[in-house]
Amino acid sequence: MDRTHIIGLIATEIRDILPELSDQSIGPDDVMADLGLDSIERSEVVLTVLEKMNLKVPMTRVHGPANIGELADLLANLHSAA
Amino acid sequence: MTPVGIEALNLFGGTACLDVRDLCDHRGLDLPRFENLMMREKAVALPFEDPVTFAVNAAKPVVDALMPDEKARIEMVIVCTESGIDFGKSLSTWVHRYLELPSNARLFEIKQACYSGAAGLQMAANFVLSGTSPGAKVLVITTDISRFALADANAVQEWAYSEPTSGAGAAAILVSDTPHILRLDVGAYGNHAFEVMDTCRPGPDTEAGDADLSLMAYLDCAVGAFDDYARRVEGADFKTSFGHLCFHTPFGGMVKGAHRHLMRTHYKAKPADIAADFDMRLAPSLRFGQRVGNTAGGSVFFALAGTLAHAGISDPARIGLFSYGSGCCSEFFSGVADGQSVERVAAMGISAALDARYALSMDEYETLLAGASVVRFGTKDAQVARDTVPGAVNGVSGRLVLEGVSGYHRSYSWT
Repeated sequence: MDRTHIIGLIATEIRDILPELSDQSIGPDDVMADLGLDSIERSEVVLTVLEKMNLKVPMTRVHGPANIGELADLLANLHSAA
Repeated sequence: MTPVGIEALNLFGGTACLDVRDLCDHRGLDLPRFENLMMREKAVALPFEDPVTFAVNAAKPVVDALMPDEKARIEMVIVCTESGIDFGKSLSTWVHRYLELPSNARLFEIKQACYSGAAGLQMAANFVLSGTSPGAKVLVITTDISRFALADANAVQEWAYSEPTSGAGAAAILVSDTPHILRLDVGAYGNHAFEVMDTCRPGPDTEAGDADLSLMAYLDCAVGAFDDYARRVEGADFKTSFGHLCFHTPFGGMVKGAHRHLMRTHYKAKPADIAADFDMRLAPSLRFGQRVGNTAGGSVFFALAGTLAHAGISDPARIGLFSYGSGCCSEFFSGVADGQSVERVAAMGISAALDARYALSMDEYETLLAGASVVRFGTKDAQVARDTVPGAVNGVSGRLVLEGVSGYHRSYSWT
């Protein structure tokens, strides 16, 4: 599963939670907190994307990325290692 | 097998409180979905309140309700806290003194962040079950206050991520072989623990942490602890085994997130079903917590009292409890409550005591945060002002208050 595809999955979930972002482009340099998602909503995005990728890893394993691009890279690595 | 569990339960939510929405507005916090916090008020400790006064004021009604021969059977006092006032001398010693408890008692303190209360309960329950002193009772008290912003001028800024949710409160839990409030399911528990630096208290007046990491650790633990419970308890089912659920509550939104996580990972439940289940099984547990803020070690017991006071239980009902403490350790366990539990918790008048608290203005709150009149950790000598917030002390009687410190020894008196 490549980075671009995962960024697409993340963007879809973000727009699902914050419909007001539906017309806004969401890219690798964006930061979820800056887009207006609170900590609960950020975890929701990650949980849903993990589900869609069929990845079963502890949440603490995906903590740390500074932006959406880094999150996608981490998820891609975990996916290829699974 | 010997029955074991909680014989009596009382909460203390302080003398003063602050409106959390007003605080968020005052700080200019951009919370477009403030309701996600599911918070209303937070308890704020006054200068004459400390972890000892909170603990004693929670436990006094529980101890006073005992007959002398029952009180004589309190053989252990476990204070569970992350707000200790001395590195060596435990809070239990002051609690023991001001509650005039028997001298043939074990006194000690337990620390493991917000998990401390569940740890204390399990230590107490296992002592009762051991049968080494048949009929013995254990007084377990959780007590935590948050005065983190005292450290320096920049501390309020650093504290910002948790200031609205950091509260204060104490829960007194009498554990015995006559569990009128909650009969524990013996052997039915599950743990999940691992080292993580999500939230910590690196100094007496400071807290540091990462909100996202803490939430993630909490979510991992909710699933891990329940799965360990299910491994031990044949046929355990998160959706059907428990009529009610009580989770450690940093703020209501986190409980909602953990419940949703469990319902999705275990049942692939749909959002509408998850919401309905939350309203039915968890919403009542938030009622007291949302009036005091995060009470750390006590919050799972604030949740239990909230459920017993507001869930309309009349027939025996199994309650699933989840405790999480940063760092981290967690436990999922269960017990059975009934109509008698509800009546006994109602008799403590918890809601009325919360209603009677003094509502702080933002100016009064800021004065308290500045901390000039507060006895800080390590103070050798001090006299405590009673009138920092003049309106707050009126009409408060029968409560323990901090008088002063002499040679590091804190002294207290009754109002």
